[in-house]
Amino acid sequence: MNVTDIAFWIFAAIAVVSGWRVFCTDSMVRASFLLMLSFIAVGLIMVLLNAPYLGIATVFMMAVEMMVMALFMVMYMMNPAGLNPMMMVHQHRFSIAAGVFVFAALTGLIVVTRFSSNPVAPDAEVVVGLGKELLGDSMLIFETAGVTLLATMVASVILSSRSGRFGEADTGAVPPPLEPGGEPAGRQPEQASGHAHHHH
Amino acid sequence: MTPIVLTVAWVAFLLGMAWYIAVLDGLWSAAREGRPPRAPLANPLYRCATMLRQQSNLTEAPDLLNWRLAPALYAGLAGTGVALVPFSGASVLADLEVGIVWWGAVEALTVVVVFLHGWSANSQLGLIGAYRYVAIGLPVMLISMFVLIAAALPAESLAVPKIIESQRELWNVIRQPLGLPLFLLLGLSLSFRGPFNYADSADIAGGTAAEVSGAPRLVWEFARLAMLTAVATVAASVFLGGYLGPWLPGPVWLVLKTAAVLLALVGLSHQLARISPSRMMTLIWTVLLPLSFVHLVWAGVLAL
Repeated sequence: MNVTDIAFWIFAAIAVVSGWRVFCTDSMVRASFLLMLSFIAVGLIMVLLNAPYLGIATVFMMAVEMMVMALFMVMYMMNPAGLNPMMMVHQHRFSIAAGVFVFAALTGLIVVTRFSSNPVAPDAEVVVGLGKELLGDSMLIFETAGVTLLATMVASVILSSRSGRFGEADTGAVPPPLEPGGEPAGRQPEQASGHAHHHH
Repeated sequence: MTPIVLTVAWVAFLLGMAWYIAVLDGLWSAAREGRPPRAPLANPLYRCATMLRQQSNLTEAPDLLNWRLAPALYAGLAGTGVALVPFSGASVLADLEVGIVWWGAVEALTVVVVFLHGWSANSQLGLIGAYRYVAIGLPVMLISMFVLIAAALPAESLAVPKIIESQRELWNVIRQPLGLPLFLLLGLSLSFRGPFNYADSADIAGGTAAEVSGAPRLVWEFARLAMLTAVATVAASVFLGGYLGPWLPGPVWLVLKTAAVLLALVGLSHQLARISPSRMMTLIWTVLLPLSFVHLVWAGVLAL
């Protein structure tokens, strides 16, 4: 048993135990970051398997993804800060059945499949190879499309978030009228040239 | 350098640069307030000793595991960032083929760790700091990703040593002029200083560190300095040619360039005012992120 083997068993244990704890914890924030820990351990196993780009990209993406997920779950679940204890599992019977079935199916696949034993040379340029394999000659097109899509997403969020339920975001909030087409509800803000009101 | 020498150099670099930043901070504050600095060189050490002698505060029902782990993880992430950078052509602690991607993971995990630090104390001010930090930290991270991808283009590699070697003719700071300024903003954000201090600022009584004292506070403050050091070291390597330079040996050049970048970072953090988080969000998404797109297109066209 060499260092790589020992590292594999440690990462494997972390992945399994933290994956199991996701379903035992009572907080959404803890559940998210336990899931992140499980994925990070899997990513490091991929690094051991000489797939450094895929492994570290997994760590990177899971960290961002779980952070955003935890934040939005807490925002939408009305659970202040996600610190209130809450049940993290539901639909018990269906979940148990689905879990057992998927585990059996995947384990069966592992047992049945014949994995190729064709080791890659240690000095092979795996990252370059992966890039060519995934994108080939279309690298430039994919990169351009990726940045364009992100720019489109940002622009559409900025354009659509300007007009809100209570008026345009950059002019200050105005509550809706109580009757259709009427004056805005609530106390009216004083006008900047407020003296005009006193004279009529 | 043998691995043992490299490891010792790595620890000494982190501690020495953290001390250097603390001294610069003290001198800059004194100059701004127009008073003579008191024991500028020893003051950081006195503050360490004070924090070590303090009691570690405890809040009601904290998530103690995450609360105590967060400062250590933050310092550890900073350490792995510095380990990516070669001190000279042949001496690098972590010779990763995908070093830039790991640096991206360091940035992402930093956001997670700072959030956990504020969240797990079970106190309002810490939580406000944590939420504010995530809102600002994530888009700033996006900017730095584009900047780093642009720096990897001329090198045709994601490894930090190859990116340094690609700057033998011309440093990236000249080839891609927007890169370094945008990356320095990331440094202020990752260690939440000055205009980007949305996590631990005075307006929320210290934010994520509001309830932290004693040894955990010392580790947390050290980790902030170590993270700033990591950003400066990566910036010196990716934009200023790292260990490359005439006459002097490589490690000296790296230390000098890192110290210069740190001076700029400390100056920015003392001279720039912080604006409200919502305005900063608008600035990031509508000005800085599009600038990073322009930067990437510029670098791509040059590399073609």
